Amino acid sequence: MFSRVLIANRGEIALRILRACRELGVETVCVYSEADREQPYLRLADQTVCIGPAAPAESYLRADRIIAAAEIANADAIHPGYGFLAENASFADQCRDSKIEFIGPSAESMRRLGNKVEAKKLARKAKVPTVPGSDGAVTDDAEAVELASKMGYPVMIKAASGGGGRGMRVAHNEASLRSSLRQARNEAEASFKDSDIYLEKLIERARHVEVQILGDQSGHLVHLFERDCSLQRRYQKLMEESPSPSLHSKTRTELCRAARRLGREADYYSAGTVEFLVDRKGRFYFIEVNTRIQVEHPVTEMVTGIDLIQWQIRIAAGESLSFRQRDIKTNGAAIECRINAEDPENGFRPCPGRVTEYIAPGGAGVRVDSHVTVGTEISPRYDSLIGKLIVHRPTRDEAIRTLRRCLDEFRIAPLKTTIALHREICDHSDFLAGKVDTGFIERVL
Amino acid sequence: MSTVERETGEVELFDVEMVSRLVELMVEKDLREIELQEGESKILLKRGTGGEVVQQVLAPAAAVIAAAPEAAPASSPADDGADDGLVPISSPMVGTYYASSEPGAPPFVSAGSMVSTDTVVCIIEAMKVFNEIKSEISGTVERILVQNEQPVEFGQPLYLVRPS
Repeated sequence: MFSRVLIANRGEIALRILRACRELGVETVCVYSEADREQPYLRLADQTVCIGPAAPAESYLRADRIIAAAEIANADAIHPGYGFLAENASFADQCRDSKIEFIGPSAESMRRLGNKVEAKKLARKAKVPTVPGSDGAVTDDAEAVELASKMGYPVMIKAASGGGGRGMRVAHNEASLRSSLRQARNEAEASFKDSDIYLEKLIERARHVEVQILGDQSGHLVHLFERDCSLQRRYQKLMEESPSPSLHSKTRTELCRAARRLGREADYYSAGTVEFLVDRKGRFYFIEVNTRIQVEHPVTEMVTGIDLIQWQIRIAAGESLSFRQRDIKTNGAAIECRINAEDPENGFRPCPGRVTEYIAPGGAGVRVDSHVTVGTEISPRYDSLIGKLIVHRPTRDEAIRTLRRCLDEFRIAPLKTTIALHREICDHSDFLAGKVDTGFIERVL
Repeated sequence: MSTVERETGEVELFDVEMVSRLVELMVEKDLREIELQEGESKILLKRGTGGEVVQQVLAPAAAVIAAAPEAAPASSPADDGADDGLVPISSPMVGTYYASSEPGAPPFVSAGSMVSTDTVVCIIEAMKVFNEIKSEISGTVERILVQNEQPVEFGQPLYLVRPS
C-alpha cells in the first residue's frame, strides 16, 4: 500500500479521496491554488502544497507543479480525481516516469479509449452494439452527406477527442450538415487539438445508461451494474440513479455484460464507466468510455456497498479484487442530485460567492458529499458543484420520498442553487414513473 | 511554553525539551490527554492505557466555522511588523530550494546583497531540472526566509528585499 497519496484535485472530490486515504491508513498531500487557500478540507490533509494562482491552467492543470509537489512531499502516488488531468494520458506517463504511481488505468488504455473513434472500433471488436454512424473519422464532406442521407436525419457530428458532452453538434438536414462540418472541425481543433470528427445517427428520446466497471492489474474485471443519468441539461448530468428505473431486466443484464466485455477487450484496470444510449425500443448502443472515476460514483457505492475510491487506490497499489462478478449484488435504490451554485431560472447562470448559511440534510439513508460549509467560497474559476446529495432506500419510491425530505431540509444561502429544481423534478409524473429521457429537462422547463 | 524561533523566522513546533516535560507532567499527574494551541500551531498528546504516550501533531488549524479572510495574501507565517517596506521574492514554482549553485559554493545572495531584476538569487529544483530563479526586484536583500534544501511551494516568500 502507498505511504502517501497526493490528491491532484479540489473541492468535493479532493475531500472524498482524502477520506478514502485516511481509512486505508495512507497519508495525504493536498495541492491547492491560491484561490483555494482557505478551503476547510485542506486542514484534514497531512501536508498541503500551493501550486499556483487561481487559474486552472496555472495550477490544477500544471502537471509539472503537481509532480514537483509529489516529489517534495514524498508522495508515492497521485490520485487525479475527475476533470483536470484525470484523463490526460501524458500526465499519467509523467507520473510513472517520475516513479510516482498514477491512480487510474494505464496510459495506453486512456489513449485508446479516450479517442472515441478508436473506442468504437474496440466496441465492435467486443461485439458491443454501437450507434450507427461513420466507420471512423469523416474526412470528406461529400462522404458525410451521403452517409447522413442513408442513415437519415437528424445526425450528430462528434469530435474524436471530445467526450463528456463536449464537441458535439446536431444537424437536422443536409444544409445544416454542410455548414456544421467545417465549424465542428475548427472547434475540435481549438478545444482538443484534434480536428477529427465522426458522424452518428441521433437517437431521439434516448435514455443515458452507463455501467461502472472495475478491474485490477491481475486481469480481473467486473461490472458494478448501471446508473441511469438521463436527467441532463446540455449534456451535463443533474441527477443519477441506480438501478435504471425502466430497463428490462434482460436489457440490463446484456448491457452490463457488454460493458464488461469491452473492458476486458481493452485490458482495462482501475475504475471506468462505459456509457450507452437506450432507445425507445429498449435497444442499447455504446457511445463512449470514461477512463476515470465519475462524479456520480456514490450512487453505485450505495447500491453495491463497494467503496470505489478505496478500490482505485488498492488496485493501483497492486492488490487484486477480493470479489468476483457473482459476488456483486445490488441492494435497494439510490438517487443522487448534483447541487450546483446555478440559477435555473436564469439560464443556469453560475452563482459564485461565499456561503453564509449551510445546513445539509441527514438521517437514515442519506449521504452528502460536499466540501462546503459556512464561509466556503464558491469560485467562478472552477465548477459550480456545491455538493452531491445521495439517498439510498430499499425501494425507488422510498428513495424519492427521502429525497424530497432532504431537499426540503437543505439550506444554502445566499447563492442560488439547483435545489428547487431537483425538488420540482421529484414531483414530476415522468420522473416518478421512471420515464425520463435525455430531452426531458429541456422540454419540461 | 518555550518555542524556538530560528533565523528563518519560522516557529519551531517540535521542541523536544517541551514535549519531554509535557510527557513527564502527564505521567506525574496521571493525565490521559493534553492539547495545546498557540496561534496556528497545535499539539495533541494522548496517553494509552499501557502507560505509553502517543504523540500526534495536528496541521495548523483555523476555526472550522469562520469567515475566510478577503484575498488571502501569499505570505509565510513569518510576517511580522518589521516587514514594512520590504518586498518579498516569492517562489514561482514548486520544488527544492538551493541557496548556491552547487554544494560547497557560496550562496548566490546573503543578507546585505544588492540585487537587480536579473540577479540569480537561488536555484529551485523539480523533476531533476535545476531552475535559476531571478530576483525580479532591485534592492538589497534584508532577510532570507528559507533554508538550503528546503521544499518550497508556489508563492512561498524566499527573501525580503528593501527595494531601491
